[in-house]
Amino acid sequence: MERQNSLKKSIKVTLATLVIYGILVATHLGEFWPFSIYPMFSQAGNPWKRAIVQDISQAEIDSLWKVTDKSGLPGKTIALNELNVNTNDIANYLSKTEIWTPKKQSGVRKLLQKKLNQSNLLVYQAKGSLSENDEPKVEFIPYLYLSADTTLLNKNLRIK
Amino acid sequence: MNFWNNIFKPDKKPTKGEALFFKIFELFIIVFVLKYAWQWGPYIQQVGEVVLPLGIAQYIDVSFMFEHNISLINAFLISLFAVLGFFRILPKYSYLLSLVLFHLHYVSRFSLGEISHGSNFIGMSLLALGLGLFFFGKHPVQYRRFTMGVIFFFFGLGYTSAAVSKLIGTGLTWPAGEHLWLWIAERSVDVASATGQFSPNIIQEWIMEYRFLGTLSLVFGLLAEFFGFLFWFEKTRPYIATALIMMHFGVYLTMSIMFDVYIYELLIIGYPWANLFDRYLNFENNPILSKIYQWSIQIS
Repeated sequence: MERQNSLKKSIKVTLATLVIYGILVATHLGEFWPFSIYPMFSQAGNPWKRAIVQDISQAEIDSLWKVTDKSGLPGKTIALNELNVNTNDIANYLSKTEIWTPKKQSGVRKLLQKKLNQSNLLVYQAKGSLSENDEPKVEFIPYLYLSADTTLLNKNLRIK
Repeated sequence: MNFWNNIFKPDKKPTKGEALFFKIFELFIIVFVLKYAWQWGPYIQQVGEVVLPLGIAQYIDVSFMFEHNISLINAFLISLFAVLGFFRILPKYSYLLSLVLFHLHYVSRFSLGEISHGSNFIGMSLLALGLGLFFFGKHPVQYRRFTMGVIFFFFGLGYTSAAVSKLIGTGLTWPAGEHLWLWIAERSVDVASATGQFSPNIIQEWIMEYRFLGTLSLVFGLLAEFFGFLFWFEKTRPYIATALIMMHFGVYLTMSIMFDVYIYELLIIGYPWANLFDRYLNFENNPILSKIYQWSIQIS
């Protein structure tokens, strides 16, 4: 009898958790940690946006704001792991920021602060997609130029 | 009712192996809760702005976590309540309090736009431990059965849900090889950005050369996830755990993404370790083992 009561109670608590799980993910776009519908990689073949940071202190560049492919990236790629910065954070910061307020600009500076005293950085957004013949193609768009005392933005970005 | 009997096993005879296994599993979860708490605590201090408010951050401004070492204090509190729960001090509330603070930690850490799933299973396991102590804390055997049952149920649901998300998000063409090409290109940027360089491994080179290898790899991953619900049944659990571990290694080899915590947890909960403990460990004659067991019983 005790076992049956325990089982009934276990079922009730589990189903109640499932209902709360369902309500929270349904009302929060599929995510309410630790609840999730696990949508990673569900949009196959869709274009993506990532980020890469170049140290251009020693680089000779003819135009700061030139869109390029990987072979045309100026300077040296910064290893963000060494700054204890997750590359996903920079990538999402660029792609999810619509209006580059001074606070948003200082947010990027704060993440890369450790490097800014000794280097001039160019933050690129990488855009990938499948070409018409299903080959992946990636282009790099310069977003922000950062030095110790300067922040310049690509003129195509919205600024407030 | 048979289904739930299979999940919670109320009629199964309790054994020493089960008690020892459960405490080892609980220790594993607490170690990873502490790992995330102290990994994210300092990182949150680097964050300057909420770009994507997740969870509770949609209702409160979590930017207070970014300054004055508040996130380190939160890491300490998460750790404190997790350890208290492990030693059954304030047993009814300690794990649940740790979970609530862990949620605040998560939404602060991932307020820059990334939605990370790496810690979800640890979070779900902490929830199961917390609910278990809240509702069954006075009955160790029921507590263990409930906790593991909830974990089996939601792990199975989570993996199947991931496969369904793919079928809804893309459809039956999800496993097409060129999709993996695009993800490998994406990861090549991520790895270069993280480490300063990227060189494809031999598997990635093969897949980039032969599209069908990419398709095969994705078909296997989709099927493994889809059948995640087999975690609900004791007989099929080791097989689906093995398939899912292989899938996670496949993701690592093809896309350089390591869900290591998932692999560890699958290794722990996917196989009948408790039965093996009972069969091969001599609890009576081995003094060290006997002491470990007695100690684990005292705090069960």
